[in-house]
Amino acid sequence: MSINKVNTHIIPMEFQYHAPTTLAEASALLEKYGDEAKILAGGTDLIPHMKQRKVEATHVINIKKIPELACIKETSKGIEIGANTKLRAIELSPLIKEKTPLLSEAAATVGSVQIRNLGTVGGNICNASPSADMATPLLALDTVVNVYNREGSKDYTLEEFLHGRGEVKLEPGELLTGMTIPLQPKNAGMAFEKVGWTTFDIATVNVAAVLTLKDGKIDHCRVTLGACSPAPVRVYQAESILIGEEPTQELFDEAVYLIAACVEPRESWRRAPPEYRRKASQALAIDALTRSIEKARRLA
Amino acid sequence: MAFPNMLYGRVLKSPHAHARVRSIDVSKAEKMGAVTITPDEIPDVTYCPRLVSVPEATYKDWKVLADKPHYVGEAIGAVAAESEEEAQKALEAIEVEYDVLGASFDAFDAMKPGAEQVHDEIYLKDDLLKVENNIGCQLSITEGDPIALEEADVVIERTYRTNRRYHNQLETKSVVVRPEADGGISVWSTTQTIHNTRLLLHDIYGIPMGKIRVYKVALGGSFGSSIHVNPVVTIAVALALKSRRPVKLSYTREEDIRDHCAYQMIFKLKLGANKNGMLAGGRLEAYLDIGAHQIQAYPLLGCIVGWWVSLYKLPYKDYVGKAVYTNKVPSCAFRGYGNPQISWVVETMMDELAGKIDIDPLDFRLKNYIGEGDLFWGQGPSVKSIIQSCGVEEILTKGAEMVDWYNRPNPEEQTGRYRRGWGVGRGYHTSSAGAPVPSSIVDFGGAILKMNEDGTFDYISALMDHGCGTQEAHVKIIAEELQVPVNKVNIIRGDTGTTVYDVCTHASRGVYSGGGAALKVAMKVQEQIRSFAGRILDAYPHAVRIRYDEETDQTIIFAEGIEGREVSYREIAETARHKNWGTVASVESYRQPSCPPHFTGYFVNVEVDTWTGKVKLLRVVAGADIGTVINPLLAAGQVHGGFAQGWSMTTLEDMPYDPIDGDLVNRGSIANYKVPTTQDLLDVDDLTVFFADTYEPTGPFGAKGIGEGALNPVAGTVANAIQNALGVRFFQLPITPIRILEALKEKEE
Repeated sequence: MSINKVNTHIIPMEFQYHAPTTLAEASALLEKYGDEAKILAGGTDLIPHMKQRKVEATHVINIKKIPELACIKETSKGIEIGANTKLRAIELSPLIKEKTPLLSEAAATVGSVQIRNLGTVGGNICNASPSADMATPLLALDTVVNVYNREGSKDYTLEEFLHGRGEVKLEPGELLTGMTIPLQPKNAGMAFEKVGWTTFDIATVNVAAVLTLKDGKIDHCRVTLGACSPAPVRVYQAESILIGEEPTQELFDEAVYLIAACVEPRESWRRAPPEYRRKASQALAIDALTRSIEKARRLA
Repeated sequence: MAFPNMLYGRVLKSPHAHARVRSIDVSKAEKMGAVTITPDEIPDVTYCPRLVSVPEATYKDWKVLADKPHYVGEAIGAVAAESEEEAQKALEAIEVEYDVLGASFDAFDAMKPGAEQVHDEIYLKDDLLKVENNIGCQLSITEGDPIALEEADVVIERTYRTNRRYHNQLETKSVVVRPEADGGISVWSTTQTIHNTRLLLHDIYGIPMGKIRVYKVALGGSFGSSIHVNPVVTIAVALALKSRRPVKLSYTREEDIRDHCAYQMIFKLKLGANKNGMLAGGRLEAYLDIGAHQIQAYPLLGCIVGWWVSLYKLPYKDYVGKAVYTNKVPSCAFRGYGNPQISWVVETMMDELAGKIDIDPLDFRLKNYIGEGDLFWGQGPSVKSIIQSCGVEEILTKGAEMVDWYNRPNPEEQTGRYRRGWGVGRGYHTSSAGAPVPSSIVDFGGAILKMNEDGTFDYISALMDHGCGTQEAHVKIIAEELQVPVNKVNIIRGDTGTTVYDVCTHASRGVYSGGGAALKVAMKVQEQIRSFAGRILDAYPHAVRIRYDEETDQTIIFAEGIEGREVSYREIAETARHKNWGTVASVESYRQPSCPPHFTGYFVNVEVDTWTGKVKLLRVVAGADIGTVINPLLAAGQVHGGFAQGWSMTTLEDMPYDPIDGDLVNRGSIANYKVPTTQDLLDVDDLTVFFADTYEPTGPFGAKGIGEGALNPVAGTVANAIQNALGVRFFQLPITPIRILEALKEKEE
């Protein structure tokens, strides 16, 4: 980008602003304008990107006027979180703190309070950044995402939804409306770990773990790794060697080795070389496993 | 800030690190209604934007707009339009053709024979100089007998590389320029010196000085990035003169990051010590990667050797410093002016030497430091004076006691994931650049103080306050001298037309030098008050005494022991008016006779996670010798801020370049330039600041500076603490988690 086109004092481009109040309207606009349209939710990514001319949008569709998109509620299926829910609301929600504390923990590590007061969980997912701090824990919670389509809504697992860097599974006219976190096992211990260069920083590596213990052995187990591949990943190999075993240091060492093996080096990595990410992912995985086991023991 | 009819400016920046502008077509921008300026419309003056040194020591290679830009972001044109949006559109409508030239992004590459010359010719004063091997200027100094170093019991030689840091001051460089009906201009800018701004604008545009009014504005920090006149100022003046309308030009953060940075330095240092614990001598080669222009590289070469040789006694010292042009953002002073860099190097090597001769690093420092009665030339070889106050010993011994220094961990005994270490480091900075004889650096200030007709006072000074409470300190000095409460002394915000010259708020001179000028006018005013009181009381002016009376909230002059012979300031002021004696007032310039070092020392405790490489701060104890402490909380605040900046320098900051397009890897984005937040530091209660009990005889009421000394030893101290935890030394800044893991791996192998 030519440096003369960047002007962060203003949004240096002309665009049409839309503020639909229903999903149907929003969907129609998205279908009409296709690639020319960008969704404005929290704006913590979109606005800086427009100022820096990384995104040239001719239509900006503000979805904050659609009331049903911001909610945190318990249903028979689990916890439902609207796409427009602020990260700060997730961080502070008593329901989430009680049922899936992993999410509050992760939300609390995103940027600053000011950023969390603006940024939304839907935006965090739909940006499809490999280092999205909500994607890694949501993946560990078997989250199902809900997508609006004129013909009816669709559900995907988060794993299906996250195509890879910068891409999510959305067809023209579709938008993410929210997500459902299935009821977690009662005695699940959960932990989120992250390393970045400062507290406001995005993750260089993040790891989430959800575990239960049955008769002293690991029963339910999810381990996910973020910022080390095009999209956060579930580390099935590690999960399978953990399940049915007693949690020992040796077992963890073996598991974190498999976790570190998921680091997929990218040419464009400027923040940290693969070697660092492997090392740090092992450290964070040990921390996440240890903390979630401790919690699971307390709950067992 | 806004004026009626004001235009908004935008700068056309070079996207190339080195190029010749073949053509600029502004016709489309002008059709849109914008006012444009291009290099051929600006007076052809080559200048140095920093006017602190005498002409004989001033190298000049700048133009307001470059027809041959030397770095990505250099201004080649500008527009002004009715709104920021219109200015932006006009800017994008300008068409430029470039002939792209070769570029260097590393000082050593730039010095290689055959490397593209950043500048072919520059000026020293008014003499044309040919630049060879991209060396902009150099300095060498030798003192003593080299045999001392050659025959030392232990000699260490190493190469150190510092980082390129951005000042990250609160507001980006900004200015408003209003053309005046008399052909002059009024200027409001984020400068550290209103008078030098006026001087430079006069030099470039030829406007008589009296018709250039530069006004003081409140600053949110600057850290040395506006000792020189920033490009926005000279550009906005051209836009205002051409448009005949007020012009506001404010850089975005992305532009500001490509506007100024600290000097990146590469040092080769050799130090020798004898088994008796005394240093024998040293040799230092300093290479400054100055970027595309000189701002104050030559005086900095003098300061680097000055900082180096004034830390510890070196019977033999040999120095070569070279300032090398590269096609990067021009470097300028940044809090400490090379001292944090060289102090990191020296304090790292002092620890290493102490280990080799088996002496505690703290004792080693106590044996070798330069203190009271010693010759000091921190500000360079032309600025020498004798140290008259020194709290080094108090800082180091008291700090050692507070942290139980001698029982610190042994790095070789630690094996776990988390390892802890203590480090010590010390340093100093000069307070001003004063000296008994003139030097190549201008350092004097001035002040005006007048008594109002109600017995209160107006204080007018050109000295800029960057948000450090400097002017508040001046008010306290004046109030103390005149025995009035501080609320009786008003600060009048002046401009170049209403103040006398002050060189600049830099070099930690605000309280010491500026406060010296404030004290001088207060003393003169007191003399006049005494004289008027003497007339009223029929008493001898030198014999009357002064006291503040809380009940009447008046300061009283009285002849002690003689009833009825007393008069208040208010009555004196009233009488002087009624009897036509005139206004009690003083205007004075003041030059300090020395530049006393304010000494600082740190003890830092860290915990390193050897699995992630993250370093956590546990405890910091800082001691400072700043003479009389005038603003205790603000002075402690300077130490907190200095520590934070030093911590950031040591562990986080750097600005590498992308050699493919010559731009910063971070692309100017502040989100990609990491600095710590309060959450990344330590609990404020875990940072203890104490002040040594000293009195500087030349300072106002015994005061010295603090601003830069607060930062200088931090990097060395933190690096030593990390070494104490891990048993690994680092020779490149910043010491990032990545580098820590790499070094640990290397150690294991």
